[in-house]
Amino acid sequence: MDNSRRDVLKKSLLTMGMLSAGLTSMRSAFAASKGTINFGDVGVSDPGGDWSKFVSATGWDVNLVAIGNAPSQVLNVLIAGGGRKTYDLMGIVGGMQKPLVENDLVLPIDTSRLSNWNRHTNIKKYVLDDPNGFKFIGWEGKVYMMPTFIQGDSIGYLPEFTGHVDSYGALFDPKFRGYTAVEDNFTTTGQKTALYLKMNNLATIDDPSNMTPSEVKQVVDFLVDKKKEGQFRLMWTSFQQSVDLFVNKEVYVQDCWEPMVFAARRQGVQAEYARPKEGYLLWSLGPYLVNNPNRTPEREEAIYQLLDFLLDDWYSATISLIHGYLTSPGAAEYARSHPGEFTSEQAEKVEQIHANVKSKFEMPGTWQQRWPTHVDVYEEEWARFRAA
Amino acid sequence: MSQVRFARWLLFAAPILFICVFLLVPLALTFTISFWERSGFTIKPGLSLDAYKVFFSGVRLSVLRTSLGFAAVVTVLGLLTAYPIAYFLALRVSPRVSQTCLFLFAVPFVINPIIRNFSLAYILGRTGPVNSFLKEIGLIERPVDWLLFSDFSVILGLTLSYMPFMIYPLWLSLAGIDRRYAEASWVLGVPPVKTFLRVTLPLSLPGVFAASIFGFVGTFGESSVPIILGGLGYQLMGNTITSTLDVLNYPLAAAMSSIVAATMLLFLVLWYRMFDIQLFLGKITLRRF
Amino acid sequence: MQYSRSAQVAIWAYVVVVLVLLYLPILPPIATSISPTGRQPSITSVSFKWYAQLASNPMLIESVKTSIKVALMVGLVTPLLALSAALAVRELKVPRLILMLMLLPLFIPGISLGLANAFLFQLADIAPSFWTILVVHVLWALPFAFLIVLTAISAFDPVYLESAYVHGANRLQAFITVELPNILPGILGSATFSVILSFNETVRTSLVQGPLNTVQTYIWSRYLQVGLSPQTYALMSLLILITLILIAGLLFFNLRKGKT
Repeated sequence: MDNSRRDVLKKSLLTMGMLSAGLTSMRSAFAASKGTINFGDVGVSDPGGDWSKFVSATGWDVNLVAIGNAPSQVLNVLIAGGGRKTYDLMGIVGGMQKPLVENDLVLPIDTSRLSNWNRHTNIKKYVLDDPNGFKFIGWEGKVYMMPTFIQGDSIGYLPEFTGHVDSYGALFDPKFRGYTAVEDNFTTTGQKTALYLKMNNLATIDDPSNMTPSEVKQVVDFLVDKKKEGQFRLMWTSFQQSVDLFVNKEVYVQDCWEPMVFAARRQGVQAEYARPKEGYLLWSLGPYLVNNPNRTPEREEAIYQLLDFLLDDWYSATISLIHGYLTSPGAAEYARSHPGEFTSEQAEKVEQIHANVKSKFEMPGTWQQRWPTHVDVYEEEWARFRAA
Repeated sequence: MSQVRFARWLLFAAPILFICVFLLVPLALTFTISFWERSGFTIKPGLSLDAYKVFFSGVRLSVLRTSLGFAAVVTVLGLLTAYPIAYFLALRVSPRVSQTCLFLFAVPFVINPIIRNFSLAYILGRTGPVNSFLKEIGLIERPVDWLLFSDFSVILGLTLSYMPFMIYPLWLSLAGIDRRYAEASWVLGVPPVKTFLRVTLPLSLPGVFAASIFGFVGTFGESSVPIILGGLGYQLMGNTITSTLDVLNYPLAAAMSSIVAATMLLFLVLWYRMFDIQLFLGKITLRRF
Repeated sequence: MQYSRSAQVAIWAYVVVVLVLLYLPILPPIATSISPTGRQPSITSVSFKWYAQLASNPMLIESVKTSIKVALMVGLVTPLLALSAALAVRELKVPRLILMLMLLPLFIPGISLGLANAFLFQLADIAPSFWTILVVHVLWALPFAFLIVLTAISAFDPVYLESAYVHGANRLQAFITVELPNILPGILGSATFSVILSFNETVRTSLVQGPLNTVQTYIWSRYLQVGLSPQTYALMSLLILITLILIAGLLFFNLRKGKT
């Protein structure tokens, strides 16, 4: 009896030993690389997990880490979570320069070190040449966020229930009472509502992207009224929730991002992304360079190589196909001329996506504002909407 | 000899030190930080009551009230569901059957509650299986809306998450009861219901209290259920703490967390004072040490 | 005091209904993961392609590796701590205090526990890493492991130790040759349970994870940021299956022990 028990002990120790040996060998298999760039990202910079082109070109690995996108969440990671030591890049929606630069958390990006920067006419045309666009990525004349993707947001809907939708008003239409949803976020829902109210002369708002306290209050009052009438089914807080709202036909109209419409379509639901007459909420996403004073020059060089890679045509085509964002101007051409990597339908699709986003910039619209002058008022008023 | 002594001391002290360093000290630290001051995005040591002032004057106080209410409701529901099961398993079936059943109840508890609640959102939706079924049998014409994104779904999600956890302490205390008490009462001609109320129930109170604490702890600090199943701007203490962290208000997060932890510790102390923990663990610690 | 047959049936029916309610939510992710279209459950035929694709996602693989490493360490460290605590209950003069301390993590809500440790690491200038995750996981698993080991130790009669002393063994020898083999199943059980708990933890981890992802924080961040793909459902189903297999192992072991 005792012998058999001792056997069990021996065997289990042996197993543990083998397992830990296995783990060690796994680690040594990776030791060949020069190092790993830690890339915190909200999830959309992931080219399907395939960094092989970058790894084989530079010898550096990329460790993509999922982080939240909420303005304060990002600051939280950098200030509290030891983030400045851990992360090299933080890929988030822009417009965060004020808190990030003022707290010395990020460094300006030296665009002359990026070979793809100057041929990226999309960045030039839609971001750099538009003063509001530049405000979204720059601070005091310097570039702090590299705009990997450019996009305009509106609302999604299910035409089988709503017919054609061409205004944010559908969100607040009594016909769809209880069958609409909004995002729990003042930058998206708050600003789109402000755009709607302004464009339809329902409120006097000077600049929907940077409102005065009383303007914010007007917008939230409007939303609170609608909430009390039972207009909204949900204030969603996660991507999947928003997709499920469409897939399970919980709602017919919602304030969401275009990728959710794509995700719903992949699940066999005919969802559409509206082309609202009020215009789009414009934004761009890309990495900030985290300020780590102890970084070696080799690592910095590798980071710049990664930044350059994020503007390259293969990566651009891949990301456009996954999320439907506007990327480098050469993406479609690259996809067409590399049939081993992309099908001709995919090349076609990249072309369409790019044309689609470009046309969004023809509309009136407004740039997102993630850190408005009265950000405290925004936060407080939004808490009131939440609790109403 | 002294070396052996030291080694022995170290051996026994290790788990105690571990708990002290990684639980008691951090909790004390949280409490301290709740009095610190915010300056910009960082915090500096201080003796400020700002965090508590904000907490007790703002919307968050109602969040505390809701959370307490929910925790109470879920605990009571959990007890009502779990007690009969524990009673049955402890007193009416063979030890092997009851062990197997306890295991079966343990399984859902250890499977990540987040994954289980994802499914619940699907099951309870407007076009989910429950509504489809009700429509199929002609009970309803329009989908029932309050099944999801409502108090109902939050309470159901919380109860299903933490009820399995409550069965074990109940079973423990019920199984530890000397059956002769109940039998004596029965022999004396006391009806079963009275026997239960006068003998079994009072003897199982330590377990009831322990189970209540477990149910309460889980519910009170839960942060994913209100996000997944809650409706419009749903706030419970758990996710309010996370969202306060998100806006970099550490003293406030620390204050809320301390309030939550202190509430639980208060229950714990009560329990400790009222019942003999060793008697309660009687089934486990067969003899007194 | 026997129940009538119908009362027996009613009680069993009640137990079964509650079990069904508890187990029901486990089914949809599994159904989705084996559906060829990867849509919400509408199974016409079965496909395992989503499982095959799991291997090609490096971010996911990294999180699996972290989870396995953490779980193995938790499975190693926790039972040892639990064993030493259980022995301390017997050997030291303050059993009630030790019992209370060991059970304490059960009484602290996950969010408070995670936050408290995050503060500790921050002030001690310890960057979030594998070790910080390990600490919160051991804290979470310790009370359970402790109870399991304590049960095993209590079932062992110390008379055997006495007889070993009589035969000239010292304390350590007696413990290793006589007691340890007897309580080994309990220790292995606590190790398994610790691994299971570690594998399924999210809230506490999320506050100290730093740049690392465990499987569970990976799934949670997907849910929040980019949505759950059929592959994610496959991953969830795998986690459920692994947990079930480990539990079945424990149960089997326990029943066999009960027989002999």
